[in-house]
Amino acid sequence: MIGPDDDGFAAFVAARGTSLLRVAYLACGDDRDAEDLLQTALERTYRKWDRVRHDNPEPYVRRIIVNTAISRARRRAILRILPTHTPPELPVRETDVDLRHVLMDALRALPPRQRAVVVLRYWEDLGETQTAEILGCSAGTVKSQASKALTKLRSALGAESVEGLIRNVHA
Amino acid sequence: MLEDDLRQIMADETARLRAAPDLVDRVIRSSRRRRTVRTRYVAVVAAAAVVGITIPTGLTLASGPAAVSGPAAAVVSPDTTGSAVPQPFEPPPLPTPSPTLDFGDLGDGKAFGRVKVGYLPDGLQWSHRSSDWGDAYTTSWNYDGDKNGFYCVQIFVQEGQAAQRSREAVQSYRDKSDGEEATIGDRTGYLVTQWVGEDGGKGTPTMFLDMGPERMAEIMFSPVFVKDLGTREAVERELKKIAEGLTATDGDPGTTSEAPAADGGDEGKDAEAPAGG
Repeated sequence: MIGPDDDGFAAFVAARGTSLLRVAYLACGDDRDAEDLLQTALERTYRKWDRVRHDNPEPYVRRIIVNTAISRARRRAILRILPTHTPPELPVRETDVDLRHVLMDALRALPPRQRAVVVLRYWEDLGETQTAEILGCSAGTVKSQASKALTKLRSALGAESVEGLIRNVHA
Repeated sequence: MLEDDLRQIMADETARLRAAPDLVDRVIRSSRRRRTVRTRYVAVVAAAAVVGITIPTGLTLASGPAAVSGPAAAVVSPDTTGSAVPQPFEPPPLPTPSPTLDFGDLGDGKAFGRVKVGYLPDGLQWSHRSSDWGDAYTTSWNYDGDKNGFYCVQIFVQEGQAAQRSREAVQSYRDKSDGEEATIGDRTGYLVTQWVGEDGGKGTPTMFLDMGPERMAEIMFSPVFVKDLGTREAVERELKKIAEGLTATDGDPGTTSEAPAADGGDEGKDAEAPAGG
């Protein structure tokens, strides 16, 4: 099925597929959407592999994933499912799993671009400039969006400090 | 720090995820299949043209066999005796996305997919960005034509089953008494401010335009552009003018009625400045 010309692409996917799937999941917040997002991004990359493979293809794929996630969210596919109009209700925090869900729900409830900033900055550990390049905005915008996102995450989790809650989870 | 804790939570949350072992195969197969289907479609259309058969509108708009509507079609081919024998027509799964999932260079961006934009507000240029998912496609315009810039106006077109989803969205707004009906020439529209995740904005004014049984369009203004337009009246006026000028280019009878340019003088103005700019 895979010819010699595809070897490099296959090796790339084998090496980075899982990492990219995780980015896709964090960008869109859903397992199945993440798989679809990744496949879409890889298909686009495959079609341009001759050009892309000479550079580092991973940023190229990541850019497609994040921007496609934002674009799809804007098409309401995700926003119809997620309670983005209002902060998520606070569940009863009985277990560590509950708490993690609270934070992940809060992350999903962020506007797509803010969510992308959080994923790129704090998951991918990209700098503000790199994040700005991927999202097609200024570094200042990245900074302000990150700040707003963190404020919303704190707010969504209620009066208690996020740091304290999370420390309890890992205690 | 919250940032560090977020990293930990995200790591925990995604630790279970693994790329499927057959991912590479699926990607390569899918990419090749798209190319093949596209080639098949071109061949089918060419063959239909040769024997003088009109492919039903439904076939060109449906996203797959399940969505096919319209009269049954048949390809006529000669049998061994030389007489014409109707053969069942196998509809290809159409439309397919473009191979690159975008439209490439659209020039001023006004003709994309199966629609044409007749009017855009002054000062806008094509953003050089587009997406083509087959039964849904989009492009946008902004001030500088920068691919990485923010959009001012974005138009989504949804066809076949995708159009049905758009109608359901409109109905949902109607049910909540959110938005208002609009008359766009001899067509109907629905004007509503959507919340589509625009950070820090007050929502995205959107005109849903009914372009016939198989097609819906959504014309959206970014919150940034809304601010620049200044008033709600200006926003609504510009949305309606764009909707009036948006027409189909594929001969779908329900969508090609060219609406007059709003205020009667925008065609010329638009022609002077590419993409309204």
